[in-house]
Amino acid sequence: MVAPQEVTNKFQFAFAQIFRWPLSIGRNISLSARTRQPLGDVVSRREHSQLQNHLANVTEELVEKHRKVEELSGLRNRLYALQGAQLMLADVITGSIDGDNKLIINRGESDGLAEGQFVLGDNSIIGTISEVSARTAKVKLITDPSSNIAAKIGGLDVETLIQGDGKDSVKVQLLSIKHKVQMGADVYACKQPGLLDTAIKIGAVARCKRDDGNPLLWDITVKPACEIKELSEVAVVIMNPRQ
Amino acid sequence: MRWLRFAVLILIVTVLQAGMVDILAVTRWDVKPDLLLILLVFFAIYCNTSEAIVTSFTIGFAADIIGPAMGAQTLSFGLFGTLLAYLHRVISIKKIPYQSAAIFMTGLLAGMLAYFLSLLKGQPAPSYGVIFGTSLYSGLVGPFFFLPSAWWMRMRTPRLKRR
Repeated sequence: MVAPQEVTNKFQFAFAQIFRWPLSIGRNISLSARTRQPLGDVVSRREHSQLQNHLANVTEELVEKHRKVEELSGLRNRLYALQGAQLMLADVITGSIDGDNKLIINRGESDGLAEGQFVLGDNSIIGTISEVSARTAKVKLITDPSSNIAAKIGGLDVETLIQGDGKDSVKVQLLSIKHKVQMGADVYACKQPGLLDTAIKIGAVARCKRDDGNPLLWDITVKPACEIKELSEVAVVIMNPRQ
Repeated sequence: MRWLRFAVLILIVTVLQAGMVDILAVTRWDVKPDLLLILLVFFAIYCNTSEAIVTSFTIGFAADIIGPAMGAQTLSFGLFGTLLAYLHRVISIKKIPYQSAAIFMTGLLAGMLAYFLSLLKGQPAPSYGVIFGTSLYSGLVGPFFFLPSAWWMRMRTPRLKRR
């Protein structure tokens, strides 16, 4: 109880290291037993409601996309928590090429953009503004290895960090195996004062296994909710727009 | 007491608890039987008091190694294993329902103490529901692990004595 955490952790890591082989066999058996269960057949009522609400938002977003004239005001009214925010639509100038997980968009400082603002694509978070010039801005995608965003997994009451894997996915960091993670569960960016007033979907859990380096943590891969490479238009969330 | 056999048994059960018992998990809270708790009660019932105290703390340490934090389980398992061993001197726990009840109560009390110790240390702790569910599940399946454990430890259980 009084021993330092670093010292006591060594016991746990040593055990995991020594018995890695039987533990991994057990893990594989457990996971295969779990994955045999049909996915999504049983969800809680609350989760069901959340998914239904999200589906409604996405449907509304698609309708709005086709109505270009009403788009600016329509998007703003899409989510109640974002009513005070401005959603600045921007065209993608250059997309993510050869592992460079960044986009350049045709809006910049003169349009009210600033570093750290969240960027939406197809009604889901795709990244944050990392650099701004007067007329353009660079979006650091969630798949970028240097991207760290506070996030939570649907159904779990715990916040964690997500980090890009440099490819097409995102990794959830530092989530203890105490938490039961459902395959396909939605992952949301947590609200951040001044940047995001409501949790917005990032993607869904595509793979979940125990971390080989630290068996006390999950190794979770999240697939982004939209095909980022195919986006031609994005929206930047400006929570406190200049009048 | 055959301590080498005890060490091997604890190692095997600890690995099983860490890697395999997830298969038996039930409900959305991931409730699973605590094999180390079952062993704790087994040794508290079938060993003499001094051996039971040593085994209780050892099993608690094993539980800590595969748990979220060190210390809490060592103390709670050690304390309640010791109490159970002393209790066994005055109350016989030989019938399966009594053994189930002993596992359930020990799991509940040890779980609650570990919960508060974890909170004191600022470590994550399982919810009350998980503690209750784990104790209940362990109590239901626990006595069925006693016979193979007794065989491995070359101990004579009351049932074997009758033969």
